[in-house]
Amino acid sequence: MTETTIPRGNTLPRIRPWLGIAAAASFVVASVMALFWAPTDAVQGNVYRILYVHVPLAWLAYLAFVVVFLASVGWLWTKNPLFDAVAVSSAEIGVLFTGLFLVAGSIWAKPTWGVWWTWEPRLVTTAIMFVMYVGYLLLRGLSTDFSRRATRAAVFGIIAVIDVPIVHLSVLWANSLHQLPTVLRAGGAPALDSSMLLTLMVSLFAYTLIYAYFMSARVSLERARQRRLWTQI
Amino acid sequence: MLDRLGARRVLLIAALGVAVLVGALAATNLQSQVVYYLTPSEAKAQGVAVGQTVRLGGLVKKGSMSSADLRNANEFRFVITDGSVDVQIVATGAIPGLLREDAGAVVQGAFVADGTFQATQVIAKHDEVYTAPTAGATPAHRTAP
Repeated sequence: MTETTIPRGNTLPRIRPWLGIAAAASFVVASVMALFWAPTDAVQGNVYRILYVHVPLAWLAYLAFVVVFLASVGWLWTKNPLFDAVAVSSAEIGVLFTGLFLVAGSIWAKPTWGVWWTWEPRLVTTAIMFVMYVGYLLLRGLSTDFSRRATRAAVFGIIAVIDVPIVHLSVLWANSLHQLPTVLRAGGAPALDSSMLLTLMVSLFAYTLIYAYFMSARVSLERARQRRLWTQI
Repeated sequence: MLDRLGARRVLLIAALGVAVLVGALAATNLQSQVVYYLTPSEAKAQGVAVGQTVRLGGLVKKGSMSSADLRNANEFRFVITDGSVDVQIVATGAIPGLLREDAGAVVQGAFVADGTFQATQVIAKHDEVYTAPTAGATPAHRTAP
């Protein structure tokens, strides 16, 4: 078993509180913009404002699962335990964000579509994505051997990422209730007013900082666990 | 190959290969088999039987829900169209507030013998465009009844 050098620098723990403050502050700014500054929508009225929560959470969930994929590749390629720490941390945050944006979407759906839920392509593929990554986390509980657990999870994390583009493209591939993409689309500029787009970008920035802060704390926690539980890695 | 690359790299390549395969299967299956709703033309072409529960999706035809006396206590009537085939919908149950002419809707129910569609559930669709309201104007991507 190769010796792993655990980095001794203390930069990350020092900046983490500032990252947390920046995340909280930008979250407040984004929320105020979303609730009060952005205009109402000509079709949906005020209820559309949940877009500023639903969309950034969805994008960051996609990002989190792509990070799981990259970290999984990293573990299989190098066997560096840091990659496994990043993978499990990002998977947990991704599952949290997915659950949150599913709930936000449901709250948005009832007054607009008229139903809390329906088995249409975007919702089905998203539910599958949620269940798959919950499965990823459960899979990790099957083994107490560090290397075996990490390798099993890495293989699963590589396969599961396929659902991320499937979720996004599902509305384009089949007749669906969920509308087509507003921003991440092939032809044309984002289909929302400039003040709405600005609010969305500020919200995305805020939620990205929240993701980064959670990752920083969770990876550090996982590394401490690794040092404590597995003396040979 | 196992000796040259190492077991873990072979495992990685195999995992990536499986991922691509799963993705390709999912993509082709999603296109052909997962049907959330039929357009009126598709329903007509497939010859959907009377009484068979199905979902129809299309636009609410302009002028089909604008008359006040169509809204009685028992049923709500409007027409769903996809540009070529029209279907008269007779809806019981809650009607979403967002339902409006020239906008999307999905209905679930069954055809009855006289060719109309008895809908037990009506869902309003909205498109992906968001615009601030301008005084006195209706948005170009929607018309209100």
